[in-house]
Order: sequence, then C-alpha cells, then structure tokens
Amino acid sequence: MSLFGTSSSFGTGGTGVFGSTTTDSHNPMKDVEVTSPPDDSISCLAFSPPSLPGNFLIGGSWANDVRCWEVQDNGQTVPKAQQMHTGPVLDVCWSDDGSKVFTASCDKTAKMWDLNSNQAMQIAQHDGPIRTIHWIKAPNYSCVMTGSWDKTLKFWDTRSPNPMMSLQMPERCYCADVVYPMAVVATAERGLIVYQLENQPSEFRRIDSPLKHQHRCVAIFKDKQNKPTGFALGSIEGRVAIHYINPPNPAKDNFTFKCHRSNGTNTTTPQDIYAVNAIAFHPVHGTLATVGSDGRFSFWDKDARTKLKTSEQLDQPITACCFNHNGNIFAYSSSYDWSKVERKGPALEPRPPPQASHGAVHAGAGTGCRFQAWSRPICVI
Amino acid sequence: MAEGDVEWELSKENIQPLRRGRDISALHQALSLQQEASNSTVCQHRQAFEAELRVNDGEDPLDVWDRYIKWTVQTFPQGGKESNISVLLERAITRFAEEKKYYNDSRYLDIWLKFAEHCPDPLDIFRYMQSKGIGVLLSAFYIAWSEEYERMGNYKKADCMYQEGFKCGAEPREKLMQFHRSLQARVSRHVMSAIADQDSSEEDDAMEIEEPQRITLGELKTRGKKKAVAPINRTGNRVIKNPRGLQMNAPLGPVQNSCLMVFDENKASFVPQEPKPESWMALPSSRAKENEQRPDKWTNIKMPQKSRFGQVIRAPPSRPNFQPFVEECDLPPTMTPCKINPSVNLVLSARKLCREETPLKRLQSHQQQQRDEGRAPEQSMYCKELLFSGATEFCFEELRAERFRQKYRNREGSDS
Repeated sequence: MSLFGTSSSFGTGGTGVFGSTTTDSHNPMKDVEVTSPPDDSISCLAFSPPSLPGNFLIGGSWANDVRCWEVQDNGQTVPKAQQMHTGPVLDVCWSDDGSKVFTASCDKTAKMWDLNSNQAMQIAQHDGPIRTIHWIKAPNYSCVMTGSWDKTLKFWDTRSPNPMMSLQMPERCYCADVVYPMAVVATAERGLIVYQLENQPSEFRRIDSPLKHQHRCVAIFKDKQNKPTGFALGSIEGRVAIHYINPPNPAKDNFTFKCHRSNGTNTTTPQDIYAVNAIAFHPVHGTLATVGSDGRFSFWDKDARTKLKTSEQLDQPITACCFNHNGNIFAYSSSYDWSKVERKGPALEPRPPPQASHGAVHAGAGTGCRFQAWSRPICVI
Repeated sequence: MAEGDVEWELSKENIQPLRRGRDISALHQALSLQQEASNSTVCQHRQAFEAELRVNDGEDPLDVWDRYIKWTVQTFPQGGKESNISVLLERAITRFAEEKKYYNDSRYLDIWLKFAEHCPDPLDIFRYMQSKGIGVLLSAFYIAWSEEYERMGNYKKADCMYQEGFKCGAEPREKLMQFHRSLQARVSRHVMSAIADQDSSEEDDAMEIEEPQRITLGELKTRGKKKAVAPINRTGNRVIKNPRGLQMNAPLGPVQNSCLMVFDENKASFVPQEPKPESWMALPSSRAKENEQRPDKWTNIKMPQKSRFGQVIRAPPSRPNFQPFVEECDLPPTMTPCKINPSVNLVLSARKLCREETPLKRLQSHQQQQRDEGRAPEQSMYCKELLFSGATEFCFEELRAERFRQKYRNREGSDS
C-alpha cells in the first residue's frame, strides 16, 4: 500500500514488477529498492539524526514533493508521509532533535515540516529559488541557513518572517555544507566562501577554487577530534578537491583526484568525463562517497589517498546520496540529472528520455555499511 | 520627477553617452537602484535573460542577445565591470561569428560597433569586419569607421570611407549622403581654421600679449637622484603664442627630429601606411585591460642574493607597535607573513608568461577546439554549450528549473 497517492501503479506494493524482469544495469548492486519512490528525479536525500530512534529517510524530488520513509532493520522501507511544494524541491535537512524537516524549493520558499503533526509551514522567502538549506545548532542560537540563486545567504529563526541575518554573496549559491562552527558555500563562477558560525555567522575566508570547473557539490569533513577541518569539493568535470582550512603544509595536504571517468587506462579512445553530483562522508570512518552522472558511486579514503570501491554502472545517473547517523546504511538515488540536454526546436529536451527514476539504499561489505534498499518510481519528464 | 532630475545632474560624469540617447526613465531607475545598493531586481532580470538565452531557440536567437545587451546598456549607465558588458558583447559576437545570415543585420552590426568602442584599436576591428563581410551593406558601418578616422584626425581616410560605402551600395543611401555632407562641412571648417591659425601665428611675434600667459607646459623638473630628463617638444597654440619671459626664436612648425611622420592633410604628401589587407585569422584584441603589461626586457632587475643555505632571504614585515587583538576561536585567521619556499613554486608555475588573453586568441582557440572536437583526449559528458552559452554560467538545476518554469507557464496559459 502506498501512502503517497496513486499517481503510478508501479509505485504501490513492494519491489514492483520490475524487480524480476530487470536487467542488471538497473540495480546491478542488488541493493534494496525503496518503495513508493517519487515520480520525478530525486534531488536530495537526508537520513534522520541520532536523536531519533530508528532510521528515517527524507527525499526531495523534482515532482514538487518531499517524502519520508522509515527504513527498518530488516531492510524493508515503509513510506510514512509526504509534503508538497509549488516548485521542485532542491534540498532537505533535519533539525538536530529529529522532530522537524526543512525543505527548500524552486518556488523561492522554504518550509518547516513538523513530522509529529504532519504540518508544514513556510519559514523563509527569497527572491530566487533556494538551493541549499541547513540547520545550525549553536550554543547560543539555532537557525536555518538558506542559500539561494539570488546571491544571498539568509539565516532564519523559524518563528519570524524576517531573516535574522542576510549575507551577500558574490554569485549564486550552488552548494553548501554546515558542520558547526564551520559552513562552506560554493557559488557560481567558481567562488568558494567559508563562514564561521560562532556567536553569529560571519564570513571567514574566501578561497581560490582548487578546481578549474563549475562547482557542483561540497561536504565538510572532521578531524580526529571531531572538529570540522576541511571540505571536499566536487566539480562538473569528474574531479574532487580535498581542501584543509589550516593545514600545516598546504601544498602537500591539499590535493585533487579524478573520479567518475570512463576508459581510465585506455588512452586510444577519448576519456568520458562525468559530473560529480554529490559527496558524503561516513560519520564514523571518515571515508567519503562520491556519486556521479556516470551512474556509479565510489568510496574513497582521503587520508590514504586510495579508492576503496566503485560500484557497477547503473543505467541512470546517481543524483544524491547520504549515510545514516551511524554509517550502517548508504542511500543513493538513481534518476535523471539533466546533465545531457539537447535543444530540440524551441524547447529543451533531455537526451535520451528516461524510463524510470529510482531511489536506492545500499550497503556494501567492506566499508562498514550494512544495508541495501531500492526504489523504483516511473518518471516522465 | 524632480528628484530624478537631481540624481541625473549629480551623476552626469558617470553616465556613458549613448549614440541614440538614453531612455530617461530607465536612467532614473538605474541611478536610484544604485543609490539604494539593492540589486535584487537587476539580478533577477539578468537571470531571466540568461535563462531565455538558453531555452529560447526559435527562429531568431539574435533577438534575445540584442535585447539582453540593450537592457544591460540602459541599466548600467557607467558601463563598468558590474555590467559584464564586454563579456556579453564578446560572447554575442563569437556566437554568431559563423552565421552569415546575420552579417548584414543591423542589430548584429550594432553589437559589433559597441564591441569596437570597447577596444583599444577600433580600426583593427573595422578592417576585420570588412574582410569578413560583416556590415558591408549597411551605412552605419561606414559612418562609424569614418568617424573613427575623423577622431584620429585623418580626414582623407574618413572621406574615403564614404566613397567606399557608396561603391558597395550601402543602405540606406540617404543617410550615408547626409553624414558625408556633414563630414565635408566639418573638414572644410577645420581647414579654414587651420589656415587662419597659420596666418595669425606669423603675426604673433610682433603682437603684444594682453595677459600674462601662465607657463602651463613648463619643463619637467627631475626628482631625486635620477638626472635623466625626457626631451620635450611642445607644439600647439600655447607655446606658439610665445609666453612672456620665454623667447623662442622661431615658431615651432612641424617637428623635425621626431621619428613619427605627422600627417598634415594640407600637404597631403604623406599618407600613413595602411596595413595591407591580409586574411584575418581571428579577431583583434578588444579588452583594454589596464594592468596587463606587455612582456618586455627586464632591465635593472637584480635577483636577491641567495644565502649559504640556499634560502632566499626576505626581510620580515615590520611588526605593528600595538598588540593586535586575537580572538580565540576554532579557526584562527592566519596572519603570519608568507615565506615563499623556492621548492614550492605553485604561485609562479601556475602563470604562463606571454599568454595574453585577448579575444583574438580566444576566438582562434574556440575555432581550433571546434575542429579538434573529434580528436580530444577527454570528452565532457554534459551539455557544455548550454551551460556556458550566456555571459554567465548556469548549472544543471538552473537549466532544469527554467524548463519547469516554461512548462508551468504553458500550462497556465492553456488553462486560462
């Protein structure tokens, strides 16, 4: 049964008809599919924080909705609830106590979704689509940080319609991450700004981009004392940069590595380069996972500078990923990411038209994850 | 409206004049927006244009570019870096560089002429355009070229341009004739006044000067130990009129010992060399970047002495007298002076000397890229052209959001 409405018949029921007839490229890792996935590409995933017992997964999609599933210990996913926006949802995050979910959308608003009462109310307003949303919990304040394409970064106390603070950025916000007391925002035109959040948010430093291409995703990592010490930045041309804020030896400690490219060793055919769509760090081991438009995900060890594992290639790009709070579960979504678009007459059409979009939860042996799940909605763009 | 007038009066110097004049309401709006320092509406407007550039691919893509450029010029009266106008013009030109159907479109010519205005050497641009055949059937092209020659004082060539225009059958013909007539009037006025000046200067020696003339163009004094003095040859009315106290024996005529042959159209004996029309590989340079230095010989530069240990000694910057307050926080800002370790030449190796980033080279490399497309060692598996086709870049989400907005608008349109 599906709590999400009956927009697609395939969405109802367990693993669906496709489970038996699927070719390997759809779910080559044999991960568990999440039931009742969204009808369109999934833009973001977020697992619940440790303060909430159990594992709950939130996914926002281009079908204007945000869905919540409970991921049980035996691997089954149970759809729980859903909220709608009037535009595609670009980012989601949880509050630290696990009672609220914040969603940011192209309709220039952000909403706070109270899971207990299943009510959502608007808490933020921008002049342009809101691209990122994060919850900040400081000792003396807590707020929601929203980054938008209107070149501003705003901080909202959820009780007031006006922002607590608004910071101007040089360009549109493309991605951001927050680990108190540090926040990193990557903007258009290869801008990179680090903010410090103690007392009140302020710009800490603008960094020259370590990458030559457009920034796509960013994730902060912590040191052995569990303090944020640097970030990983991914670009649209198959490269990730590891950058420390105050390294003892910047030339040696900061580095970039290539990823999500095909024909690695084959030099005769041109190498295909794909975009890195998301980066996530394992909360316990500190290893990082990257997912790309080539339809693969990979795990890396940044300290040993090695690749740990790469998945098989899925038939569609992987658009988002996240770890749960103890790192046992790795969730990734397989859906069209519009990296290949072609003009056909007066409109933009994706090339080729996708058949389905999936959300998958995966656990691989050897990296400390334990669980796999899959989901399989039909999507028509 | 009275307040608007005041704003305009106060900012007169900052407004770049437009040939066709500025829309007064747009000007007021732009100036008031700048005073409030709120640019969100401008930002949104620009984003809308950028989106339209990528999504709209109908019969006439030039139309979007044309409107975008006109809006930018009206909204940013100073025409500075914020407006991104030079990037925009360059992109527009490059985008349609191969599309012959636009070569004699007056909007495309307009863009080229604006581009030429931003270049240090517009004549180069005009010659390039002629060789390619851009705008050769339009009067505005010849008028602009001729005006450039006139600005440089080359009246003969200026007149030539009009002849060229008539020969090529530029349209509209009446406009060409009208401008030609006004050029001829200006030239004759100039010739008359030049003759009058020459006549009057001969009488100057005998004439009494009513007011004491200030020596505005006095000799340069040297400063410091350097004694080299640049040779001074001043020409012009002031000096010819023999200020009191400074007797010159002969009126200064054409400078004898300069290497440049100054064109004097009265003599019409010497014509400055026109570069032979050669086939153009690419556009001449446009961006008048101030801080770009032409690479030249490094004279009088001494390398710092290396110490015994092979480290380059640099004097540490002087410490301030007071104790700067350092706030304790997790991420202390680094304030220590930077010592360049010679083994880590990251800064120096990133820059390649003699790599002038001119639009000439950019267009060349762009064309080279297009030829090399099949042979590239790497291929980007995403829609590069769409992301970067405007003046600023787009990300996949912005493209998709624009598509969503279009669909939504169409749906609304069909419903109502």
